[in-house]
Amino acid sequence: MKSPSRAVARLVVATGVASVVAQLTVIREYLAAFQGNEFVIALILFSWLAWGGVGTWSAGLLIRVERLPHRAVLAHLSTALAGLAVIQLAGIRLLRDLVFTPGTSVGFYPTLAYIALGIGPYAFLVGLLLPYSLHVLRRSGHPAYPGAKIYILDNLGDVAGGALFAFVLIYWATPLQALAVAGLPLVGAAMSLNATGGGNPLGRWMSAGAVLVVMFLGGAFERHTLTPTSGRLLHYEESRFGRILAVQQAEQITLLKDGLPVAGTQNVALAEEAIHYPLSQLARPEAVLLISGEGGMLHELAKHRPQRVDYVELDPVMTALQFRYGLLATIPGLNVRHRDGRAFLKEHTGRYDAIIVSLPEPDTFQVNRFFTDEFFRLASRRLAPGGVFSFSMEGFENYLAAPQQRKLTTLYHTAIRHFDRVQLLPGLRIFFICRQQDVDLDIPAALARRGVETLYIRGYFDGNLTAERISQLNVLVKAPTAPNTDFQPRLMRIMFDQWFARFDTSPLIFYVVLGAGLAVYLLRMTRAEFVLFSTGFMTMGSEILVIFAFQVLFGYIYFQIGLIVTVFLAGLLPGAWLGSRLASRARMVLARGDILLVLLVAGFILALAAYGERLPAAFFLVFGFLTSLVCGFQFPAALAIEGGDGRAATRAFSADLMGASTGTLITSVGLIPYAGLYGAAAGLIALKLISLFVVHRSSDGHQP
Amino acid sequence: MAINRRRFMYCSSLALCGSACFGLPLGFAAEPPAGSGPANIRGKVFRGEAPARLWKWSREGQFYRRLEGGLVQCLVCPNRCTLQPGDRSICRTKVNMAGKLYTLAYGNPCAVHNDPVEKKPLYHFRPQSKVFSLATAGCNFRCLNCQNWEISQARPEDLRFVELFPADAVDKAAEIGSAAIAYTYSEAITYFEYMFDTARLAREQGIYNLLISNGYINAEPLEALCEVLDGANINLKAFSNGIYRRLNGGTLQPVLETLKTLHRRGVHFEITTLVVPGYVDDDAMTRAMCAWILDNIGPDHPLHFTRFVPRYKLNRLPPTPVSTLERCRAIAMEAGLRYVYVGNVPLHAANHTYCHQCGRKIVERLGYHIPVFHIKSGRCEFCQAAIPGRWHV
Repeated sequence: MKSPSRAVARLVVATGVASVVAQLTVIREYLAAFQGNEFVIALILFSWLAWGGVGTWSAGLLIRVERLPHRAVLAHLSTALAGLAVIQLAGIRLLRDLVFTPGTSVGFYPTLAYIALGIGPYAFLVGLLLPYSLHVLRRSGHPAYPGAKIYILDNLGDVAGGALFAFVLIYWATPLQALAVAGLPLVGAAMSLNATGGGNPLGRWMSAGAVLVVMFLGGAFERHTLTPTSGRLLHYEESRFGRILAVQQAEQITLLKDGLPVAGTQNVALAEEAIHYPLSQLARPEAVLLISGEGGMLHELAKHRPQRVDYVELDPVMTALQFRYGLLATIPGLNVRHRDGRAFLKEHTGRYDAIIVSLPEPDTFQVNRFFTDEFFRLASRRLAPGGVFSFSMEGFENYLAAPQQRKLTTLYHTAIRHFDRVQLLPGLRIFFICRQQDVDLDIPAALARRGVETLYIRGYFDGNLTAERISQLNVLVKAPTAPNTDFQPRLMRIMFDQWFARFDTSPLIFYVVLGAGLAVYLLRMTRAEFVLFSTGFMTMGSEILVIFAFQVLFGYIYFQIGLIVTVFLAGLLPGAWLGSRLASRARMVLARGDILLVLLVAGFILALAAYGERLPAAFFLVFGFLTSLVCGFQFPAALAIEGGDGRAATRAFSADLMGASTGTLITSVGLIPYAGLYGAAAGLIALKLISLFVVHRSSDGHQP
Repeated sequence: MAINRRRFMYCSSLALCGSACFGLPLGFAAEPPAGSGPANIRGKVFRGEAPARLWKWSREGQFYRRLEGGLVQCLVCPNRCTLQPGDRSICRTKVNMAGKLYTLAYGNPCAVHNDPVEKKPLYHFRPQSKVFSLATAGCNFRCLNCQNWEISQARPEDLRFVELFPADAVDKAAEIGSAAIAYTYSEAITYFEYMFDTARLAREQGIYNLLISNGYINAEPLEALCEVLDGANINLKAFSNGIYRRLNGGTLQPVLETLKTLHRRGVHFEITTLVVPGYVDDDAMTRAMCAWILDNIGPDHPLHFTRFVPRYKLNRLPPTPVSTLERCRAIAMEAGLRYVYVGNVPLHAANHTYCHQCGRKIVERLGYHIPVFHIKSGRCEFCQAAIPGRWHV
C-alpha cells in the first residue's frame, strides 16, 4: 500500500484549484441570473465563505466518527465535489426559471435564499474537506502533520485555480467546460488517494466514471441550457465582462448582457433621445465621443454629419455583435476604441463638441465612476467651447419617488459643480443635458431647422415633454445635497435603496439576523480565533478597497484586476510558510501581524490621498501581496496557540472564513457606500486595533 | 426536433433535482406551462397596517358592507377585501377604522398632468384634446411590468401629493381648458370615491370623464360610475386567467364583465392589450380574445396592441418585435374587428385610422399630431360610413 500523505497533499491542491474555479464561475452565473449590483456580488461571496465556514466547523463532527474509513470517505467526497460543481452550476441556471417567473428580476430575500441554497452544498463540502484532509493525514501515520502545511497547500491550489480561471479558462472555455477542466485533477487526485487504501478498484472507477460523464455532459450541453424560452439563440459568448446572448424574435435582434436586454434593433425612441437631445444644442457637431451605446445610436448620430465619432466600449464582444447584427452602423468618421471610457477620456487630449454617456444604472463601483464629481470635471474639461455633455438615468414619467428623487438630486448637484446649466428631460429615461450655456428646450424645432429627421421626437416630444412636466422634474432636484464622488459613492447606496423599494422590501431583517448570529459567534470564539476572524475580515475588506480604488484611478482593466485578485491569494502562501517557522513565538507573530496590517492599510490610504492618480499600478499589487502575506503569516501562529489538534484547526479555518465572508459583505455594501473609501479604511483599522488589544490582553496572561 | 432550453430543462430536471441541492419537488408536467414561478401573485390584505387615525384626505367608502365582529368588506373590486379593524386593503387605499371602511385616497393626487388624449391611449375620443390627468396611490393588481409602480404599489401617505378635492380638480381642469378629466396612471378603481365625486361635478360643468383602468371592478360600482363616465380605456392584459394570475395578480372574468357593462351602458371605450413576449403573444390566445370581443361587444370598439418594453420587475425580457404586433393586428382584423392599432411604435402605419367600409385613411397620426382628418359629423368623408367614437375636435 502506498503512503497516502502525498496523495492527500495533491488532493488538497486539486481541491483548491477546483473550488476557486467553481467559485468564480458561480459568481458569474449568479450575476447573469440575477441583478449584477454590488449587493448581489457581496451576497454571493458572503454565502460562499459563510457556508465554507460552516463546512469547516462541521468537519469536527465527521472527525469524531471513529469507525468511518476516513481515507475512502475523503476520496469519495472529493470525487463527488468535482461532479457537484457541474450540477450546482446547471441547477442555478436551469432552476431559476422554474422557481421564479421567467423574465423577471428577483428581490433581495428570494435572491439571498436562491444564492444560499444554490451555493450551499458545494461551498459546505469545500469547507469540510480541508480540515478533514488534515485529519486523514494525521490518522495515516503523520500524527504531527502541521495544520499550517495544509493551509499552505490549499493556498497553492487557490492561487493556481485563480490564475487558471482569470488568464486561461475565461478566454477559452464556457463555464461548464471550465468546471470540467478544473475538476479533472481533483478526480485524478481522489482516485490516487483511493488507490493507496486498496479496496475495490471497480467501484473507484465506476464512481469516477460517473462523475466524469456528468462533467463532460455539462460542457457539451452548455448552449442548450441557455437557449431562451421564446426566440432563437443566434450567438452565445462568455466575454471577460459577462455573458452575452444574441436572441432573435421574428425580425428583432436583442443583445442580452447577463440576462438583461441592453441593445436591440428596434429601440428607435431611446436611440433618438440619447443622440438628438444633446446634439440638437449644437449648430454643427464636429467631434463626438460616445461612451458605450446601443442599437441605432450611430445611425442617429450620422444624421448630424460629424467629422469624427469616437465610440468607446469596454467589451469588444459587445461591439462586434452590435455591428454584426446591424444594431450599430458603420458611419463616416467612426473610430471604435475598446477601452474603459473614463480612462480613454483621461488620456485623450483633444476636445469634443459632445460627450454622450450611455451606460447602465450606477449600481456597481465600476459604473459609479462615470457619475462622479471627478468624472464630470474631466468631461467638462474635454468639451470644446459651447459643447454639451449628456447622460441618462432610468426614468419615470408621472411621479418621482423618494429614492429616485435623491438619485437625480445627487446627480444634479454633482453635475452643476462643473456646468453652468444642467437641464433634466423627463421620460422613460431621464436625460441630463449639461452645458456652460443655456439649453434649448424646443428640440423638435432645433432638429427641424437642421434638417434632422426623427420618428419619435417629431411625433411625441410635445406631448411627453410638456413645459409643465419638464418644470416639475427640474424643481424636484434642486434641494441641496452632497455630490457623488469617486471615493464617497453616495449614489450607490441610493441605488441600493431603489432596488429595495422596487421589491417593497428592506434588508433590516437580514442585518438583524446577521448581527445576532455574528454576536453569538464572536462571543464563543477564543482570542486567537478572533485575531484570525478580524484578519480574514480585513484582508477581504482590503481587497475590495483596492479593486475599488484601482478602478477609480485606472479604469476597469480586466487583466490587472485579475492580477489583484491573484496577488491577494498569492501572499498567503509565503506568509503561511514564514509564520509556520515562527510558530514558537506565536503571540508575537499575532501582535506584529496585527500591527503590520494596521500600518499597511493606513499607509495605503495615506498614499492614495497624497498621490492619487500618480501611484503606479504596481503599488496596488504590492499592497495586495503584503496584506495577504501578513494574513497567511498569522494563521500558523493562531493554530499554534490553539493547540494544533484537529478540532483547533477546524475552528481556526472556520474563523478565517467567517471573517472573510463578513468583511466582504460589510465593506462592499456598508462601509464603502456609507462611509466612503477613507471611512471604510478607518473601519478596517479600528477592527484590527481591537484585535491588537485582544492579543495584548492574552499576552498579559488572560485566556488565550 | 431541435432541443431548446425549456425542453432541456425538463429532460434534465430529474437528474438535477436528484442531487438534492435545492430540495425542490419533482413531478413537472410533460408539457411545460406557459411560464413558471408563482402561479398567483395576487396581493394580500395588510394586517394591522391602517394608520393610527384618519387624515384630512379620508372619506367613508361608498361600496362596502359591515360584517360581524367589526369586520368590513370592500365591494368596489373583485378582491372583496375583508378587513378587521386596523387592516388595510390589497390596493393600500382602504382601511377599517372602528368597523367602518374608509378610503385614504380622496383629494390627494400624487400625479397631476395635462396630457394629449392619444397618450391614454384613446384614438376615437375628441382627437388632439388635452386631458387633465390625475392619480392617487394604489392599485388592486400587482403587475410585474407596471409602468407606474412607484405610485401604484405605494400607500397614499408615503407619497408627495397635492391637495385637490373634487371641486378643485374640476376648477383646475376648466382653468387650463382641458376637455376632460382622466382618472389614470395608477389604478382609478382604487380611488373610486374620489373619482366618482369628481366625475359627478365635472359632468355638471360639461367636462368629460375618462376612466383609464384595468377594469377590475364589481358590477354595482361600475354601474354607478357609468352614470358619469364618457369614455374609457380598459386594459385587457391577456385572454388567459393563468396569465392574469401569474403576471398581474388578478383574474380575467371580471374584466370581461366590465367590457360588457360599458358596452351595454353605451360608454365609449377602447381596449388595450400589452403584448408581452412569451406570455401574451400567442396567436391562439389572440384569436380567442378577438372572437370573444366580436361576439360580446361587437367590432366597433378600438383595440390597441401595444409594444412591451422591459420595466419594473419584468425587465429581463426583450421588447415585443414590431412584426408580432402586426401579426396580432392582422388576426384581429381577420376576426372582424374594425379598428385595431399598434401602439408604442413611433409613426407606425397602424397608428392611423382607416375607414372600415372604404379602407381609406381617415385619420393620420404623427405621434400626438393629426395632420390629416377626414371624419365629419362622425362619418367618413369619403364613403359616409359611421365611424364609432366621439369625434368633436
